Amino acid sequence: MTTSSFTDRLLGRVKPSAWVPLTAPLVAILFAALITSIVLVITGNPVLDTLVTMVEYGSQPRSLAQIVNYATTYYLSAIAVAIGFRMNLFNIGVDGQYRLAGLVAAAVGGTITLPAPFLPIVIILVAMIVGAAWAGIAGVLKATRGVSEVISTIMLNTIATGIGAYLLLEVWGVRQGNDIGTKPIPAAGQVPGLGLIPDTPLKVYGLFILAVAVGIGFHVLLNKMRFGFDLRATGQSEPAAVASGVNVKRMIVYAMLISGAMAGLIGMPQLLGESYTYNLNFQAGLGFTGIAIALLGRNNPVGIVFAALLWAFLDVSANILDLHKVSPEIVTIMQGVIVLSVVVAYELAHRYRVNAEQRRVSRELAGAASITQKEGAAA
Amino acid sequence: MITTGPLGTLTQEASISTETTVSEVAVQLEGITKRFPGVVANRDISLTVQKGHIHAIVGENGAGKSTLMKILYGMQRPDEGEIRVNGSPVTFHTPGDAISAGIGMVHQHFMLADNLTVLENVILGSEPRKRGLAIDFAAARKKIKDISDAYGLGIDPDVLVEDIGVGTRQRVEILKVLYRGARILILDEPTAVLVPHEVDELFENLHGLVREGITIIFISHHLDEVLKVADAITVIRRGTTVAEVSPEGVTARQLAELMVGSELPSPETRESTVTDVVALQVTGLTIGADGERKVLDDVTLTIHKGEVLGIAGVEGNGQAELVEAIMGIRPSTGTVTLAGQEITSWTTLRRREAGIGYIPEDRHRHGLLLEAPLWENRILGHMKEKVNVRGWWINRKGARADTQRIVEQYDVRTPGIDVLASALSGGNQQKLIVGREMSGEPKLLIAAHPTRGVDVGAQAAIWDHLRTARAAGLAVLLISADLDELIGLSDWLKVIHRGTLVAEFDPATVTPEQLGSAMTGAGEEA
Amino acid sequence: MLRNRFGKVVAGAAAGAMLLAAAACGGGDTTEGAPSAAPGTDAPAASKVKVGLAYDIGGRGDQSFNDSAAAGLDKAVAELGVEINELEAGNGEAESAKEERLRLLASGGFNPVIAVGFAYSQSVAKVAAEFPDTKFAIVDDEANKLPNVSNLVFAEEQGSFLVGAAAALKSTKGDIGFVGGVEVPLIKKFQAGFEAGAKAVKPDIKIQAKYLTQPPDFSGFGDPAKGKTAAEGMFDAGADVVYQAAGGSGAGVFEAAKAAGGMAIGVDSDQAKTADPTVADVIITSMLKKVDVAVFDFIKSYTTNSVVAGSKVYDLKAGGVDYSTTGGKVDDIKAQLDEYKAKISSGEITVPKE
Repeated sequence: MTTSSFTDRLLGRVKPSAWVPLTAPLVAILFAALITSIVLVITGNPVLDTLVTMVEYGSQPRSLAQIVNYATTYYLSAIAVAIGFRMNLFNIGVDGQYRLAGLVAAAVGGTITLPAPFLPIVIILVAMIVGAAWAGIAGVLKATRGVSEVISTIMLNTIATGIGAYLLLEVWGVRQGNDIGTKPIPAAGQVPGLGLIPDTPLKVYGLFILAVAVGIGFHVLLNKMRFGFDLRATGQSEPAAVASGVNVKRMIVYAMLISGAMAGLIGMPQLLGESYTYNLNFQAGLGFTGIAIALLGRNNPVGIVFAALLWAFLDVSANILDLHKVSPEIVTIMQGVIVLSVVVAYELAHRYRVNAEQRRVSRELAGAASITQKEGAAA
Repeated sequence: MITTGPLGTLTQEASISTETTVSEVAVQLEGITKRFPGVVANRDISLTVQKGHIHAIVGENGAGKSTLMKILYGMQRPDEGEIRVNGSPVTFHTPGDAISAGIGMVHQHFMLADNLTVLENVILGSEPRKRGLAIDFAAARKKIKDISDAYGLGIDPDVLVEDIGVGTRQRVEILKVLYRGARILILDEPTAVLVPHEVDELFENLHGLVREGITIIFISHHLDEVLKVADAITVIRRGTTVAEVSPEGVTARQLAELMVGSELPSPETRESTVTDVVALQVTGLTIGADGERKVLDDVTLTIHKGEVLGIAGVEGNGQAELVEAIMGIRPSTGTVTLAGQEITSWTTLRRREAGIGYIPEDRHRHGLLLEAPLWENRILGHMKEKVNVRGWWINRKGARADTQRIVEQYDVRTPGIDVLASALSGGNQQKLIVGREMSGEPKLLIAAHPTRGVDVGAQAAIWDHLRTARAAGLAVLLISADLDELIGLSDWLKVIHRGTLVAEFDPATVTPEQLGSAMTGAGEEA
Repeated sequence: MLRNRFGKVVAGAAAGAMLLAAAACGGGDTTEGAPSAAPGTDAPAASKVKVGLAYDIGGRGDQSFNDSAAAGLDKAVAELGVEINELEAGNGEAESAKEERLRLLASGGFNPVIAVGFAYSQSVAKVAAEFPDTKFAIVDDEANKLPNVSNLVFAEEQGSFLVGAAAALKSTKGDIGFVGGVEVPLIKKFQAGFEAGAKAVKPDIKIQAKYLTQPPDFSGFGDPAKGKTAAEGMFDAGADVVYQAAGGSGAGVFEAAKAAGGMAIGVDSDQAKTADPTVADVIITSMLKKVDVAVFDFIKSYTTNSVVAGSKVYDLKAGGVDYSTTGGKVDDIKAQLDEYKAKISSGEITVPKE
């Protein structure tokens, strides 16, 4: 009797009951571990040792700090994607948005002079504005011309690459040997790391705090605010939202702007906490990683925390696997299998739960019904 | 619409089959039970359908007829009980199983592709193949012709579906099912979409079919029709079979009482509460550009405080568009004035805030967030009401308390307000919507098919609420396909045809026949 | 067999974990904190030398840049008897992943550690500072200089000048092309040299140039389909010789040349030998960038305890870049090419870098 579509559930636009979010991913991760084991056996690698190596390495203090750093970036990316997903918008363009935002922000940061607390704030604001503007183009195109945001954001990704390359190579770039990058951001613009993890000199990005704030903000916006209600309603049923007076076109533009602004943040932890310049090593492809992590975390601010940490753990393990002559591609396989299994596990759990809920409602109402039945039969 | 059935021409074959089918059982159901959410589930249903009969199954909306038919058509599996077709027990897992057992279903809503021809629609999904590859259109055309001739359906396989009328479309649906080899036909509310003379044609076709040995299971809640066409009648009430009667030995009134199980609820409104204060004034409302066919053409109407204005019309003649234009969902030209204030340029939300309640036609698509809990559904469409929000913030506590109030006041049967809307039965979903839309003292209520697909208890309750609100000065725009409901509840009736208001009647004097003829556009000429 | 590997990995994991822990505790700034299998810097015995090498994206098997480094490593194993371990960069990885790769090698007792590609510039600078007793080498970068880092850089523009001259001499249509993998300064050096060489032969020659992707999209170094499309366009537009500096994408350039009946010029390795045999005959010459020589020389200098920190330029004069003659297709113009070679070596011709 359920009427939510598979896509709704996939994108977390409908809410699973209490135990689903816990059980389903656990089962899925166990299943993914099983598949990975099979792959390891087939490729002639020792299963147990490989997994033990990964866990041992991943639990080193230094690795933990690295995992938190990776996860910080992934989290921001997944939240940017999730905002769109919750409203039925597939912002495939997070990748282009954060790259362009990172470049412009880095260039601004390297150019202007401001005292310490203001410079990083300005840099972050610039990144948010650029990301929002770039995503906003797709939003406006969809709202006014009905252009699919999937198509437009993919195209905008390509255009962002072109503009970015031009700006980096021809306008803002400073040669450093064979590398080229924007002028380094001065100390006033750098965000110092946090010594969160004991026993390692490696610090956690200072903007880890920003990611936490974004997560809380996402939760509050979505669940506590009218805007979030409108957004979720539009995602669950656009016709119902329209009939209820939600201005869907405006919501599309707003959602894309917010998603883009969040995308603008993706590059900030690394830019302000580690590289201080946008150069050829600026990490690309995080927007697509964000899509996978958002799916894994069911577009839920807490779910994404775990998804991002898991993803980061796997990525960090890639190097140690390589050192032990296990192909690091095994990590990619694991990541893929986990996403797929989580999707399947959620679906199965959801179906089971819907049936259970309907049975429960029937049962609880059976008393009342049987009384009326008897009355009816007597008449 | 021409009646094409060659009534007198009984073939040799046909007379033989008639003889052999006497007292043979086509379908037998024993102790069918289906547990299901909501108030009505199927329990211990027993049903025997003779071969070559038109066997009617009657019951109020929500009595469990549809569930029963879904079970028989393999769309749902019973928890208990046995189905026998032509004497042998069967288990259906999918409609495909039912089709191979010779059971076909004609749905209430046609499932035809407009831009394909009749032929293409019929063979869709079971295309005859030539040498394994190409579609053998010639063979299909011949087979369709043969079926059409044998049963007197009078169908031309090569016209586009978009060019044929509702009655013919229905015959195409029937043909589609026969084409797949069905000998037992389930017709789900086949008359709901037809105007009176089309109904008569359908009945002639049905008689033609049974003469050829086809068995028909006919689902309806229109008792007059049932008495006219059926050979046997089974009454379902609250999920179980309560009586098996022969049409000769029963009156419509008796049948209705069997269906309802007690005194009949009546939609009738006794005394007028109409005032002379205008609540809604619609002037020259038009949708569609010049030169094209307009879906809504220069509609003007007035509803006073305390008045129920009913709009009658065959579905698809502009009712939905009229409602959406007044709600500001669909762009239109013309003016809309609510309680003296022009709201033509207002957004939907602002109109709702200003006091328009809206019970949409399709509650699943437009009225509810099915996968959201009841209390969130309370907020839907009322995102600025004080109980639901505080400024930018959702007032969770207030919304929950008010949902609880609606659940109690409107008798929404649910274990709690955290249950997802999809877990409720249709009637309870609708009561929740009615309760929500009546909240905040609306000035105008737009009710599109407010009791469609709800059980009889909920129907009576919804009618009561409408009457109470009307007495308190609410203006109601009522759209309904149920003529009894329209006549019973409305203070004044207007008929819509092809986007234009073509006639108006006083419900106190009008007959369903008069209304029906006006609905087909024959009103003014007649 | 399997059992053996089990044991090995367990031992490796345990050792790695302990070493890591040690490195972490030591904070990386003390000599004890950087455990090393090599006994300091005095006269390391070759048999005990463990060489760690980190590849750029694509890794071993890219038929180009990384493979050239791998060849030098293999030669060191064969001739010097060193132990090796190789790690590979992932596509779209974070800067810190590169750093961690080098750190894993250094803390795992590998000494020397070689980083292939300028992408490791920052990482080498950081990690080399943490492990002052480990010798590092980085290929293609001289931006960061430390006392324990050798910068192995090449005069790609000089080698490209020679093949540019070859292209102009071989072209009958007076129209040649350049396909760059990714539009980065390094590859622009190839283009600059190529164009200068061609113009030195024939000042009015038409030169088409195209880059497959732009940063941060580095797929242009590993997408033969893109290379093929770009080269096809050049041949269609009238070119008859196309030079590729596009890593793995170069295979597509050769295919296009084969289909168009044109000529192609390879890069980094002697591609007439390494490319797919079905297309090898279109490769008239290759610009040799002898990363293998540089890698081998560096490892050898380590075993003889004669590592020199700072830049080591592999230019034409030093034999670090050159053009290949495999297949004999440039034998007829060899005299002219060698004349240019002599002029560049003597400094008579200065090849522009951009």
